[in-house]
Amino acid sequence: MDMRFSPDELAFRDQVRAFLQDELDPGLARKVRLHQHLTKAEMEGWHEKLNARGWLAGNWPLEFGGAGWSAIQRHIFEEESARAHAPRVVPFGIAMLGPVLQKFGSPDQQDHWLPRILNGDDWWCQGYSEPGAGSDLAGLRCRAERQGDHYVVNGQKTWTTLGQHANMIFCLVRTSTEGKKQEGISFLLIDMTTPGVTVRPIVLLDGTAEVNEVFFDDVKVPVENLVGEENQGWTYAKYLLTHERTNIAGVGFATAALDNLRRIAGAQIHRGRPLAEDPLFASEIAAVEIELMAMSTTNLRMLSAAAQGQAPGIESSMLKIKGTQIRQRLDALTRRAYGGWAMALPVPGNEDPEDADEVLSATATWLNNRKLSIYGGSNEIQRGIIAGALAKG
Amino acid sequence: MDFQLSDDHRMLQDSLRGILTRHTGEALWPALVEAGVPAALLTEAEGGFDGSGAAVALIFEEMGRAGVALPLIPTMIAAAAFAQAGQPADEGASHAFADAEPGARYDRGVAISADGDCLTGRKTMVAGAEDAAAFLVTTADAMWRVEAGAAGLALRPYPMLDGQRGADLTLEGTPALRLGSLTDFAVPLARGVLAHSAYALGCITASVELTLDYLRTRKQFGQPLIAFQALAHRAADLAVEVEQARSAVVNLASHLDDEAPLRDRHLQACKVTVGRVARLVAEEAVQLHGGIGMTEEYALAGHVRRLLAADTAMGDADWHLDRFARGEPAWS
Repeated sequence: MDMRFSPDELAFRDQVRAFLQDELDPGLARKVRLHQHLTKAEMEGWHEKLNARGWLAGNWPLEFGGAGWSAIQRHIFEEESARAHAPRVVPFGIAMLGPVLQKFGSPDQQDHWLPRILNGDDWWCQGYSEPGAGSDLAGLRCRAERQGDHYVVNGQKTWTTLGQHANMIFCLVRTSTEGKKQEGISFLLIDMTTPGVTVRPIVLLDGTAEVNEVFFDDVKVPVENLVGEENQGWTYAKYLLTHERTNIAGVGFATAALDNLRRIAGAQIHRGRPLAEDPLFASEIAAVEIELMAMSTTNLRMLSAAAQGQAPGIESSMLKIKGTQIRQRLDALTRRAYGGWAMALPVPGNEDPEDADEVLSATATWLNNRKLSIYGGSNEIQRGIIAGALAKG
Repeated sequence: MDFQLSDDHRMLQDSLRGILTRHTGEALWPALVEAGVPAALLTEAEGGFDGSGAAVALIFEEMGRAGVALPLIPTMIAAAAFAQAGQPADEGASHAFADAEPGARYDRGVAISADGDCLTGRKTMVAGAEDAAAFLVTTADAMWRVEAGAAGLALRPYPMLDGQRGADLTLEGTPALRLGSLTDFAVPLARGVLAHSAYALGCITASVELTLDYLRTRKQFGQPLIAFQALAHRAADLAVEVEQARSAVVNLASHLDDEAPLRDRHLQACKVTVGRVARLVAEEAVQLHGGIGMTEEYALAGHVRRLLAADTAMGDADWHLDRFARGEPAWS
């Protein structure tokens, strides 16, 4: 048993730290730390810097232009990036679509789409959820009918994150209503500039619109944009979800949030002393920190098992539940640390109280991060997955 | 990074599992001594042959899983402390660790005090006191050795919650040897906390396995209990918490030989996590079983009592959380 990183891994960590030191603009890092929404140009700019270093697609094999990192290297990169408050890599092209095209796409699709993802020629978004198909995703109804060399798509997608920036969307569409509902789903790549596509923002609790509704009204999609085989899309979707759940524990994000909470609790005054010295509040911070210490090792144990070829099972579900619980607890403590100041309303605009962007961010983060336990398969869905495995024994 | 057991430790685990299935009661202690288990808990400098965090953790997890109640933990702590203080080894002997004091929760030196080389006062819940060759005794800030049968030493034995026999100790001007300050013995004490935590992890694992077996096989309303979402989600939460407890034990085992501040933080985090999960599992295992989980004849009964006892040993989750939050060392 040895919990230390190897010399090679430590050297890699130093390279990542040096890169972040040299390339990450402090103003951008501050925006990330305060969970302020980044502009499209800011996200693209960060992608460009990573791509220039060959690090944009850590999860892709070398043959497709990726970095070919091990699970441990990806973990190190994600931890260091989160602690430095670097923007996260937008996952839709890199983490989600890329692996699906590499596994199930045709050579033509791989040659065309993969370089465009790396170069930032396309901004992808994800068309999975529908108003009637959330946790029960296979119940989706957005329909694609084959007409000659096109599919004609009609229906609606929702919760489409950053869809306002996207020119491309990968969609699960219904191509058959026969048999089991999972068996009539196909995986389609749709150009969002095609006539009949409408994107409408959904304003959330935090006053911003990072998610959207996407409507399809007789949208013509060339058949060569079908990934894999017709009616096999559910298999590809499940494959994608396993990739969506890498870094699901979010240890780096939680560590950054804990650092932030400590800083705030050290500055806010309670009974004439820093709040961090209040035994009640200090023990709440300590309890979350202790949870995080254990989860960090749970995460490493599971990464290490995966690296030794053990098939991933319910580990990602466990990490998702615990990771999101910890982050939401930290968000709640951070907001509470501000006391009455946290009455500030986080809405975009110029009417903010003086010096309040930090406290505004605390409330905005609490509101926005309620999503953590809902998206990517809600925590209740994850418990169902774990219990399903436990039931088999 | 490698979380696998070494070949030596895997062999140790296999042989220990064999002994724990073949021997019970009076025959178990000699079998463990013969197999070198107590010696595996000590470093070479202490007269043993391993003493690593990994060895301590795996041995006591197996003991906890098997539900064995033996004074192996106090024997280990005392033997390591005696060796560190230059006392000759006493192979095959069992020792006791007299730490808790009546009415003082986890404080030390409230009911006992030293006057020169003599101790006067009381200690309680001293596991294995009747068979101990010697006692390791704490006062407010020091560690002492008291021989069995020393003048002024009286024992009042009784059964304890975890299935072991313990005793109240009364000392009246009892001659004692001062071994050093409490903090001098931080490493043997940390190994003791690791042992209690790993033992609790074994109880936790065994209790959750029993509970899951029951949820899979017991039918009500025509379905196995695990098919009911209210129970299934609680079982899933237990599975997540078991992993947290295991990670906390791994963390302490891996940092046992690190410098004091880092080791102490992992020690406190381990005791907090394992204590919290142990209490949760004790409550949830009984509730998920229903009435059968409350009966003495069912296999869960002993585990539930040992889970409660484990949190109480060497400072409970609340006590260690408080010290962690204040940034205080584990012992002072």
